[in-house]
Amino acid sequence: MENKTIWTRMMNIDRRIIYVIVAIVMILPIIFPFNLPMRVSKRTTQALFDAIDNFPSENGVFLISADLSPQDQPELYPMLVSWIRHCFHRDIKVLVMCLYPTSLGLAEQALNQVATEFNNRASTGIGRRVVYGEDFVFLGYKPPPIVPILGLGENIYEVYPRDFYGNDLRTLPMMVSKRIKSYRDMDMIGSIAANSLPITYVAYAQARFGIRVTGGVTAVSVADFYPYLDSGQLTGMLEGMKGAAEYEQLIVEKFPEDNGRRMATEGMSAQSSTHIAIILMILLGNVCYFMQRRHEKRGI
Amino acid sequence: MHIATDFWTWVAALLTLAILSFLWDDNSFYRAAEHLYIGVANGYSITLIWYNVVVPNMIDPLRGAAHVVSEQGFAAAFFTFNEHNVLNPYHDNNFFIIIPMMVGALYVTRFIPSISWMIRIPIGITMGYYTAISIPASFKASIVRQLEASILSRSDFDSAWVLVYGLLIFVTTVATLIYFFFSAEHKGVLRPISNIGILTVMVGFGASFGLTVMARISLAIGRFIFIFKDWLGMVQ
Repeated sequence: MENKTIWTRMMNIDRRIIYVIVAIVMILPIIFPFNLPMRVSKRTTQALFDAIDNFPSENGVFLISADLSPQDQPELYPMLVSWIRHCFHRDIKVLVMCLYPTSLGLAEQALNQVATEFNNRASTGIGRRVVYGEDFVFLGYKPPPIVPILGLGENIYEVYPRDFYGNDLRTLPMMVSKRIKSYRDMDMIGSIAANSLPITYVAYAQARFGIRVTGGVTAVSVADFYPYLDSGQLTGMLEGMKGAAEYEQLIVEKFPEDNGRRMATEGMSAQSSTHIAIILMILLGNVCYFMQRRHEKRGI
Repeated sequence: MHIATDFWTWVAALLTLAILSFLWDDNSFYRAAEHLYIGVANGYSITLIWYNVVVPNMIDPLRGAAHVVSEQGFAAAFFTFNEHNVLNPYHDNNFFIIIPMMVGALYVTRFIPSISWMIRIPIGITMGYYTAISIPASFKASIVRQLEASILSRSDFDSAWVLVYGLLIFVTTVATLIYFFFSAEHKGVLRPISNIGILTVMVGFGASFGLTVMARISLAIGRFIFIFKDWLGMVQ
């Protein structure tokens, strides 16, 4: 029978044991959450929060391109909810559009969720009511992406004659009172996507029409966007669940009356504990590898 | 502990568990959930595209145009202009939609060998349009502006940290470009510079790996929060 050292056995450990360890480390903080201090990133989250916070509240219009899908919901959905909350708190008008069909349900759900939050609070005398057509408009889905991205620079009504619910866009009070016709009448585009869409907005909408662009992206794609953040082409950015949690924190600090569910913050203690576990496992794996090699050299 | 009573929450939770069961081993619960997911996703997308794209962009304009023909004559259903007197392809009641419809229908010729060459027409139009529109935009956004950002400027000398940061970007950009410059052998002065380049690339890979781990963990956390909070009600 082959004489295996502990290092060899550790190197050939059943992957399912690692899954169980990761699951335990992840689940325990969800059931018994603990608070770790969270530092808000100045270049990304804070820069974006400040940019939206400095919109002129009476005339501010924020176009959100909500291109999330169920598989990236835990990272991107809290960002969308946070942006809508921030805009409603500041009385900034919100336009939401989708470039992919799978985003429609989530985008509509986020708008309804935040509108219900605000209206429930308003019924208790806190804050103000928000009304569809006056405070926000859901444009729906129009493919292919390049058509609405370029078309909105010319005339929004030619690309979206009707909103998602079939209303004539020209008749909606928000579109009339703010005279929204193209990017020229908007303050910023926020692209929430798990792909390179924020760069597409930079290339087509910003380069051609000069509008500011920001992004809410998944952590796996963040590295692709840093050069655009560094060059000033992106005005701040939200990076995965961590960025969404930071934004939720900034909203609660600025608007303490906001009692909405903080979905990204709920996951941050589990995120931290799992990261620590993975770092320890990487270190352990390397120690085992070098010890095994050492034993092999000695001929053990 | 307040277990959810909503039927669809139970469906979502059981399907989540079925998918996660693959981590232990392949099994019939996982395969059933996988097939269900693919079927539902395809059905959902096709229905959405039918009602959000085909009906408003193709069926409704044709139906409207047919109505216009019956009331105002054939020409009125072809030439619809916007307020700037520009031909408006998005306008209701427009027979012009027949032209892109016919071009798009040529994609189907792929299944008829004798005329399958016609598929090149829509592919050529699409490629030509996207190439023309993307080259100048991408060149400006991803090359010119990125080059500008990499060059040391007066603002980089505002403070010591800004200067260090600017120099780091400048040096690592040049070193990485030299590492990928294969027309000269990497020896002499090029060798240490290309070594810095490979080091930079490795740091980039490390950052990408760390971010990928973070992203995948976030997705798992999202599912576990759903199971323990929304389904089992174990977390307030």
